[in-house]
Amino acid sequence: MLKIENLVTEYGAVRALDGISFTAAEGKITTVIGANGAGKSTLLRTISGLERAKSGQITWADKSLIGKAPEAIVRSGIAHVPEGHAVISQLTVAENIEMGALFRRRQNRSDVKLAIEEVYELFPRLAERSKQLAGTLSGGERQMLAISRALVSRPKLLLLDEPSLGLAPLVVEQIIQTVNDLCRKNGLTVLLVEQNANTALAVADYGVLLSLGKVVANLPAAELKADASLRAAYLGY
Amino acid sequence: MDQFLSAVFAGTSRGAIYALVALGLVLVWRGAGVINFAQMGQAMFSTYVASTLIMNEYSYWIAFFVALSVGTILGAIVDLLVMRPLSGKRSSAMLASPAMRGTIPVIASLGIVGILQAAAGMIWAAEERGFPTPVNSLGLTIGGNVMPFTAFDLFVIGIVMVVLLITTIFFQKTGMGLAMRASALNPEVARLSGIRTSSVRTLSWAISGAASSLAGLLVTPSANLSPNTLDLILIIGFTATVIGGLDSLPGGVIGGFILGLVISFVNVYRSPSDIFLAILVLLLIVLLVRPQGLLGSKEVRRV
Repeated sequence: MLKIENLVTEYGAVRALDGISFTAAEGKITTVIGANGAGKSTLLRTISGLERAKSGQITWADKSLIGKAPEAIVRSGIAHVPEGHAVISQLTVAENIEMGALFRRRQNRSDVKLAIEEVYELFPRLAERSKQLAGTLSGGERQMLAISRALVSRPKLLLLDEPSLGLAPLVVEQIIQTVNDLCRKNGLTVLLVEQNANTALAVADYGVLLSLGKVVANLPAAELKADASLRAAYLGY
Repeated sequence: MDQFLSAVFAGTSRGAIYALVALGLVLVWRGAGVINFAQMGQAMFSTYVASTLIMNEYSYWIAFFVALSVGTILGAIVDLLVMRPLSGKRSSAMLASPAMRGTIPVIASLGIVGILQAAAGMIWAAEERGFPTPVNSLGLTIGGNVMPFTAFDLFVIGIVMVVLLITTIFFQKTGMGLAMRASALNPEVARLSGIRTSSVRTLSWAISGAASSLAGLLVTPSANLSPNTLDLILIIGFTATVIGGLDSLPGGVIGGFILGLVISFVNVYRSPSDIFLAILVLLLIVLLVRPQGLLGSKEVRRV
């Protein structure tokens, strides 16, 4: 279980997260939705250690993550796929994937091999393109690659930041379905940040609605989806 | 014909040394975003260590490997003691601005040269001393004919080729090499992948230190050793990286060989006094036609 209590993160004078509290249940998809600038990406970046929390607590599997570096947080089973299909375009597809498992290649060579085979099975198009540079991939393929890079670290918790950004609806559907399968079949806990609330709430178990760095609603996804007044006030439709 | 061949061999052997210097510079530039002006100062220091061992009757090869180790350790120390603490300083808005963050380490590296040169002067006195070669540096004689190259030329070319081959295999085929490339290209994604980018950065400084100490050992027999003899080699090596592309390892190496050959041909067919004019003209042509260097990528920052 991921537990967040009174989390505050600031960029200079700007308070991006203003006392956030919620929990993400194990083996479930929790989606964090909200308008641009609500603090969704900052939330994920603070959990994964890329940003430093000003105050508050983040607990994962009964251990605090506060003050830990990103490279240590990955080792505790949390993988972050940042916004914008974060792959390294000058490396090949195979190298991008291998990179995600470098830190555990010595301890568990056979499992790394297995994990890489699994992501190629999950996304056969990456297997076809394994020798290509990541920069030559389409947007959807790059997102698949970014997710694969995270999956080979064998995470228990996947932090996914706007996977739908700039992708065609059909591709979004495929990626969201894959994430859904990973959660339902493998018990992966997912924290999904989305601006596209409909897509996210369709697969999520719980929805956390952020506005200007504060939690304004924390409900089962179906209820959040059904609440017309929240939708109108914060999501604009 | 003999004159031509001897220019080719001398140029290739010189170019191999410049390629090593360029390799060291590019490694630190890509790994840490710093032009390390202390690089040949470090090499001077490790070469003095070798020279002292040889004067005390140790064999060339013991001195050789001790110098490489000293160069490697010195590179790591520069990062751990100077560069890493500096990169953590965000005490004022001015220090945290991108322009200052790029400039401060470069100024620090100039300070390190000063310290190393002063220390070398104090420890070993500042007079020039010779430095031996492990093999003969007179024209090689095969079957009674004097060849247009020396055994030392072949030694230099051979050892640099081996180093380049090992470096290529390291970067392309090993996990640590992949971690170093990933950290240089995109530190954020690298960290999220679990790569300890600060250790990787120290490794870049260490490998760069090793490459430059090797360059120091190979170049000193023809230049004599004093606390600032290697300054010139740094300038030529830096020119090589600009010609080849500051952010490209193969580019820097190619730039080094090109410069070595140009210098050698000017030396043989014109006069030694035209060498710097030729380098300047070559540099200007490259900067006008292809400002990012032969193999460099477009967005690279100029220093």
